[in-house]
Amino acid sequence: MGAVCLYFQVHQPYRLKEYSFFRIGADHNYGATQQNYAILQRVADLCYLPANEMMLRLIDRHEGKFKICYSISGSALEQMATFRPDVLESFRALAKTGCVEFLNETQYHSLAYLFSPQEFERQVLMHKRRVKELLGYTCTAFRNTELIYDNSIAQTLATMGYEAVLVEGVDRFMKNDLSPNHIHKTVGTDMACLLRNYRMSDDIAFRFADKNWGGWPLTADTYSGWIEAILTQEGGNTVNVFLDYETFGEHRKKDTGIFEFIEALPKAVLAAGQRFATPTELARQRPADAPEYDVPTTTSWADADRDLGAWTQDHMQKDALNRVYALEQKVKAIADANFLEVWGRLQTSDHFYYMSTRYWKDPVHQAFSPYKNPYDAYINYMNVLTDFEGLVG
Amino acid sequence: MLGWEYPPFLTGGLGTACHGLVNALKKYVPVTLILPTFSEAFVEERLKIIGLSDAELEYLDRNRPVYEGVKTIVVHSDFDFDPYPVGPKFEASLRAERELLVADKGSPLFGSQDPYGPQILQKVERYRDMVAELVATEDFDVIHAHDWITVPAALRLKELTGKPLVLHVHSLETDRIGEFQDFTNNAVYELERLGMEAADRVVPVSEYTKKVAVKNYGIDPAKMMPVYNAINPAETFRIEKPTDEKLVVFLGRITYQKGPEFMIESATKLLSKYKKVKFAVAGTGDKLDHLKAMVAQRGLKDKFVFTGFLPTPSVKQLLAQADVYFMPSVSEPFGLSALEAAQFDVPVIVSTQSGVSEVLPNTLQADFWDTDRFANFLFALLNYEGLRKDLVENTKKDLSILTWDESAQDVLEVYGQLA
Repeated sequence: MGAVCLYFQVHQPYRLKEYSFFRIGADHNYGATQQNYAILQRVADLCYLPANEMMLRLIDRHEGKFKICYSISGSALEQMATFRPDVLESFRALAKTGCVEFLNETQYHSLAYLFSPQEFERQVLMHKRRVKELLGYTCTAFRNTELIYDNSIAQTLATMGYEAVLVEGVDRFMKNDLSPNHIHKTVGTDMACLLRNYRMSDDIAFRFADKNWGGWPLTADTYSGWIEAILTQEGGNTVNVFLDYETFGEHRKKDTGIFEFIEALPKAVLAAGQRFATPTELARQRPADAPEYDVPTTTSWADADRDLGAWTQDHMQKDALNRVYALEQKVKAIADANFLEVWGRLQTSDHFYYMSTRYWKDPVHQAFSPYKNPYDAYINYMNVLTDFEGLVG
Repeated sequence: MLGWEYPPFLTGGLGTACHGLVNALKKYVPVTLILPTFSEAFVEERLKIIGLSDAELEYLDRNRPVYEGVKTIVVHSDFDFDPYPVGPKFEASLRAERELLVADKGSPLFGSQDPYGPQILQKVERYRDMVAELVATEDFDVIHAHDWITVPAALRLKELTGKPLVLHVHSLETDRIGEFQDFTNNAVYELERLGMEAADRVVPVSEYTKKVAVKNYGIDPAKMMPVYNAINPAETFRIEKPTDEKLVVFLGRITYQKGPEFMIESATKLLSKYKKVKFAVAGTGDKLDHLKAMVAQRGLKDKFVFTGFLPTPSVKQLLAQADVYFMPSVSEPFGLSALEAAQFDVPVIVSTQSGVSEVLPNTLQADFWDTDRFANFLFALLNYEGLRKDLVENTKKDLSILTWDESAQDVLEVYGQLA
């Protein structure tokens, strides 16, 4: 019997304050504390709290049959702990139900794997520890920043003991009738991998409120019908719907009916004879003959190309990334928790995403960026980094 | 088409723009360009250019063929047709005009307070009379006039022939002297307003200029369709500097409009933290002495080079060495020189109060008064290599779609709207 796997990404970066070159050498506080506070307040009230309450209610109502999964970035967790403990408390309540899985990721929502395996491991272990401390949960599955993935990452994760990794189902690697609707095995390891069904995911994340879309208005019954078709007629064993949690109430406002849609979904899915499962459950139910998902070059869930272009393509991005990772030895030699924290926050992928000129006109990119344009993002980041370089010596 | 300046005799962007536009336009419609003077250097294939001179009207020969299919009227003239209060002869002409004013108190036609002096206004009138006499009986469909200097001629021609008038706006008086001046007795402002009011269509060189025409002249936005200037592909080159000092270039008339004080202010802020840089200020104008005094007062004389007015080849030499092109104009209808700099792979900083900022999105932009932001841009461009590379690479793409042919197509669309 097939299953629906719902995974929601929760992330808030530590945004940088406006940092002019005048401040270099004089001001070593980089965070846009007020802005970060205000955004977290807004998203907490529009999304995190009401959505968590709804999920808790649904889990309760369906007596353990409704299951979901979250990954909460370290920078989001820490900001909740500081600014909105009530949100953290509601995630803890979800963790206690036994119907919610939490994924492990890098503490700083970073691109560390691409630049330093040691730093990657440090951040993953740090995140694992913080999830345990803040949510009382021990992670067994992993998702990398923006679902960045390839075969070599699978090797690293398998050695670290994970049972499953969540990845993008990228068309160009769907050879030999592979389908994202099957539980896969990673190449060269025993770890399972779950492939995002981007069509089903984007129907909710991007198309839900689009009145020009043929599927509008989308109802839970229609959507569960699509799920049923995949799991029965097409012989799939999982439908992996992975999306940003902020879709609920923040990216798609309440008046679009997005909450009512999710509220009605479990009942519709269960009525159609299907079930919900979390990633680790699915990994444990993996058929012995599960196909291999072979990803020789690095992919992600971003943009149409599903590659790293959104973070690493432009000269500015390469320059900034090379310079921040060039500090690794020096920062680690200082061995000061504050230095490590500042350096970690400077690695958050969002900073580089804001610098993308390739996707500047993309509304998704624009919606996330606190800057007027990618050049401002780069200049501000580089001014901060120049000051930090001075401190590191 | 009624024009004023034309290459190789240029003081501002008007002549360059006019040249680029007619040479693209003539591929689609026959164009007769009427200029206040004529030079053999103007001769263009498949373009009829009529150059006028009141001094030698009797030489006019409408049917003299220069080469097949083209009628050209050649007149000899020393007619000085600078539309702007600058250029190499600026100081001398100002002096001459002052003397003229003293000698002939009764002569000004539009009042002696006009910054261009009575001479230019008289020329504008003579141009009007000659155009009327010459062209009213010719066969044509559209009057396309450029800027205030051709407005009297355009209005007269429209009156005589009833043909529709398209007024192309490259620059406005409120840009040149500042929108907070008193315009009640300003003859140039009045001509601009009359011209835009009477025109069937107004073609500003940017959305920015359209907004200025609405705000400062009360012109109906519905009849305005901006057409951007463009640039012809050209061979460019780089010259390696002998020192590791970076070079920031300011190029343009040293007048209120170009915001030279904001350049000095930004430079001062930059230099407080970063010293391996020089500023080249190329151009002349009524604020030059003031600017030099500012620089001296701030003890920055060794950081500034004032080149004076530069001819085209020297401008290219300068751009080939530049690390940053800086144009903090207070009000810039377009800003063709920024396109030239971009063509030389020089990253560009412009004010948001400029037309060129609309067609070059991959430039660094700030309000003309925001010298903190300008200084931050300068510092970044001089220190962070990735910025220069991305700005230049992305601007190349922007330039590639900015062609005079595209502008000509837009102008044809405007012609098509005329009943």
